[in-house]
Amino acid sequence: MSHLSRLVRIARTDFSYFFRTKWLMAVLISLSLSDMLVVGLVYGRLIPTRFAGLTYFQFLVPGIVVVGLFSAATDTGRRIWLALREGVVQYYLTLPIRTRGLVGAYIISGGLGGIVYSGALLAIAYVALSFLGPTAIPVQGIAYALLLIPFLFVLATGIAGLAAFFASVSRRGEIYWVYAQALQVSMITISTVFYPAQTIAQYLPAPVATIAEYNPLSLAAGVLRTSAFGGNPLDAGVLANLLATSLLLAVLGALAYWTILRNIRLNGKP
Amino acid sequence: MTIALVQHFYRPSPRTNVSPSLFAVETLSLSKRYGKTDALRGLNFTVNEGEIMVILGPNGSGKTTLLMILCTILKPTSGTAKVVGIDVVEDGTKVREVMGIAFQEARGFWRHKPSSILRFHASMFDIDPAKRQDLIERTMKDLELWESRDKLFMHLSGGQAKRLETAKVLIQRPKLAIFDEPTSQVDLRGKRKIWDKIRELRDQGSTIIVATNEVREAEYLADRVTILHQGQRVVCDTIPKLKDAIAGGDIVEVDFEDPVSEKLVDSLNGLGGEVSMSPEGNQLRAKVSRAEDWVPKMTSASYVAGAKIASIRITEPSLDDVFLHFTGKALADQP
Repeated sequence: MSHLSRLVRIARTDFSYFFRTKWLMAVLISLSLSDMLVVGLVYGRLIPTRFAGLTYFQFLVPGIVVVGLFSAATDTGRRIWLALREGVVQYYLTLPIRTRGLVGAYIISGGLGGIVYSGALLAIAYVALSFLGPTAIPVQGIAYALLLIPFLFVLATGIAGLAAFFASVSRRGEIYWVYAQALQVSMITISTVFYPAQTIAQYLPAPVATIAEYNPLSLAAGVLRTSAFGGNPLDAGVLANLLATSLLLAVLGALAYWTILRNIRLNGKP
Repeated sequence: MTIALVQHFYRPSPRTNVSPSLFAVETLSLSKRYGKTDALRGLNFTVNEGEIMVILGPNGSGKTTLLMILCTILKPTSGTAKVVGIDVVEDGTKVREVMGIAFQEARGFWRHKPSSILRFHASMFDIDPAKRQDLIERTMKDLELWESRDKLFMHLSGGQAKRLETAKVLIQRPKLAIFDEPTSQVDLRGKRKIWDKIRELRDQGSTIIVATNEVREAEYLADRVTILHQGQRVVCDTIPKLKDAIAGGDIVEVDFEDPVSEKLVDSLNGLGGEVSMSPEGNQLRAKVSRAEDWVPKMTSASYVAGAKIASIRITEPSLDDVFLHFTGKALADQP
């Protein structure tokens, strides 16, 4: 068996964990659905203003999808934390796979979790919009959404990488959640996930507005709005930026996790 | 024989640092330091192909550290360690392909069932998919895990989790199988089953290392025993030789029908060992190195002296006594 197939097997096993914690899935999906359906549809009717040709629902849903992707990808961190504390990582370290393969497997598993979860939210949003929404979804929007999946996958791996880093440095499970929540608050606040870029530019200092613009979450939410919901062609520049920033996060996270595994090999503990 | 062994272990590959070795496991001046604590201090240790080597030592003696280095989880601070001729630092992945370990604390995916954990393990070690399910079922039945097949790992008892840990190695049938305290938390019946399966694995050709601080386990399993103490190898040999190495190791008690003469006592003292007589003069207690050598000489001397023997009892020292002899401390008293 090749290293690649072992890597895929480990990623698949870890990914299956995502579906084994049903209570967590229920919490995640109920929050996202209530945001999407209650807030989106109700507020969508209360706020008639259109943002760049989009209804409030169409503007909000990409943000919810991106946050869903973020939450699902950060679940990798929880699994890594558990694996470190329960000794499963030590078991993995005895398997015939290189350390970097192990890191890759976790990051890919996080990416898969993110994409499956956000993909499900996106599908629900399309269905909701078809039945309840004030405007129909352009057919090409669905095609663009499918084309965006690999880019969202890379974004999810980047977030999984960051989660892996925070999991590795957390002594206790609660501390990991504090880190994950702090990361979520900061990455979503300094972004255009839920606000238009001009609002950020209007109220926050210029450097913060620039960070928000190049925040991969903003880029993902933006491209979902304009293409998956607006039906406009995909912007290659935005996709390149999304890929670059996401890969940077993935590499940084993978490096941090690799360092932790190396520490285990040197010191017997993270 | 030597050539055959070298050929067996030396399978040159352009991608691996395999060097000829006569041993399944070989460490040279192996040291491991955690902060200011030396867990291993220049350990030289070898295991022959196809034997069960039991590493006996109290907690903190360096047993687990040695095993963690051999299975490539830990990197040594200095020195070298080779498994079937492959350096554990230079080519860890290759070592992991030929090695399997049952951890002291069972490690499993909490939300998976035992069979799913074993299926994953088997797939990682290229166990033939056609035979996999059969092998898993048989091993689970052998280790009395079949009834727990629908439980999640996190719901298994300590003993069941330990048996599952053993099952992983059994289905893998690695060239080097490592068991770290394989029967802690396991009941007596389960212990015997695990011990028998470990011996069976040895008979199928695996080399086995068992780390334990249970004397009974060591006596049941060991082809050879290495005593580790404070990160160093104190002694390594077969159990009979270790016991023989204790001066006055065997204890022989002889009851004579009548009090024996001074002359016989003198002649028995001349046979070696430490002989003492009861005040009544009809009971003899001797501490000798090898009872099997001493007893025939004693019976001849008694026959010549006309002394009639009523009974002979021979007791041998336990591994506890061996440990005490070589380290100056009792195994059970260690932290």
